[in-house]
Amino acid sequence: MLLLQPENLLIQKTFSKALSEDYIPATLDRVITDFDFTAYHISTPSDKTGILLSVGIKCWADLIAHGTLELLESIYSKYSSFLQILSDGNAEPGYNYGLYLELGKVDLQNGEEIATLISDLSLLKRNCFAAPFLEAFGRYEVLAQEEPVDPNNIYGEDAPNNSKEPVIALGYRDNESIFIKPSNDRVTVIFSTIFNDETDKVFSKVFLQEFSDARKRSIQKAPQVINSHHDIPLEIQGLEKENSDNKKTYITFVLFPRHLSTDEVKWNSITQIETFRSYFHYHIKIVKCYLHQRMRFRVQSFTKILNRARRDVTEEELRSERKTASGRRFEQRT
Amino acid sequence: MSQSLKPYLTAVRHSLNAALCLENFSSQIVERHNYPEIENKKTTEVLLNPMMISRNEKERVLIEPSINSVRVSIKIKQSDEIESILVDKFTRFLNKRAETFLILRRVPIEGYDISFLITNFHNEDMLKNKLVDFIIEFMEDVDKEISEMKLFLNARARFVAEAYLSTFD
Repeated sequence: MLLLQPENLLIQKTFSKALSEDYIPATLDRVITDFDFTAYHISTPSDKTGILLSVGIKCWADLIAHGTLELLESIYSKYSSFLQILSDGNAEPGYNYGLYLELGKVDLQNGEEIATLISDLSLLKRNCFAAPFLEAFGRYEVLAQEEPVDPNNIYGEDAPNNSKEPVIALGYRDNESIFIKPSNDRVTVIFSTIFNDETDKVFSKVFLQEFSDARKRSIQKAPQVINSHHDIPLEIQGLEKENSDNKKTYITFVLFPRHLSTDEVKWNSITQIETFRSYFHYHIKIVKCYLHQRMRFRVQSFTKILNRARRDVTEEELRSERKTASGRRFEQRT
Repeated sequence: MSQSLKPYLTAVRHSLNAALCLENFSSQIVERHNYPEIENKKTTEVLLNPMMISRNEKERVLIEPSINSVRVSIKIKQSDEIESILVDKFTRFLNKRAETFLILRRVPIEGYDISFLITNFHNEDMLKNKLVDFIIEFMEDVDKEISEMKLFLNARARFVAEAYLSTFD
């Protein structure tokens, strides 16, 4: 599995089971965790045919400030005949948002519609995080109309008005944030991330270098990736006060109009960008794991070489009768 | 094998062959004790001159002979941050398995990455030429392994980055 899947597999499984024809209603109580401190709770609060899916996200306050509720409403309201949205005070205590599915009332005709419903449910986390991105993309469109891109601006300098544009900040983990900044010809997404392990940090440098170089080498369509290990990028200098102990690494993605053209492309960009941090950390761990295996193998082969050096004394030699000069038998006790 | 590696390894091989001339020697200080003289260095008359063989400023071998034990310490090439991490991990990995390695010293001596301690008992138990072979092979393989791991890391990073970025289309 190279790329991380944006949907949550456990939710997908639970609901595809629940919505299959031969489902026997059962009591459910499952707590599922996802990346970035996201927790889901699937339960059947009152009766066995009503399934409640609750989600708790760490940076919920940041998300609703940028229109997450409206976006979720627009996605899930088409199922309103059997799917009840529980937000704000109605959500389950400890969670931020809930969707209550009544199995008896599901009136979807064919398998395709059911599959869409399941995928919509399993993409709940992505949808929650998508709103700030969509907001920034919308802002980009406005700015691009107001001030068309100057074709003479060959160095890609930021237009003067853009620096006033507010930056959207999402504190998606402790001390780690996503910053999104729209401007008239691009949308900049900046991740700040922390490596607790010194080794991870060194490996991350190799990885980020490759991320930056990949675009120059082969994949011209990809967004530009800029990384900085200590310095705070200019765009967010107003927000990030200081990089204490130089622990944070900043990764900047520059999304060009190509990545923001149609709805489909936009959603694809959002889906991919969101999984970046998990993907990045995950692959560093994989590499470490592989190197560990490799060392283990190598150490084994060294032991073999060393064991070859041992003088082998065969069993027969040990057992064979030995006599002293005077002819007495000499036996070795074992 | 590169040009400078072969003479380096040959020099180490000959020096080791010369140094591995060990005999049983009981301690002169503590009665009924018998320990590697090179480790406690209290009986100076049984210690021989240490030899250092350097390939360059980053790679060297220190051979410290004595009457009943030889200590061989190896400094592995580390040209950048990644290599030093890999070497560190690798030697730690080996040191944890010192039990199965018999001649491996659990802690390398200062300034070196890995140390072997060969006593007369090891020499009785194992063939001398094979022991020397092992150390030479070890030196060769470690270098190879480290550079392969480094290459792998780069290749993997490139592959991962390209896989991720090619999804934007």
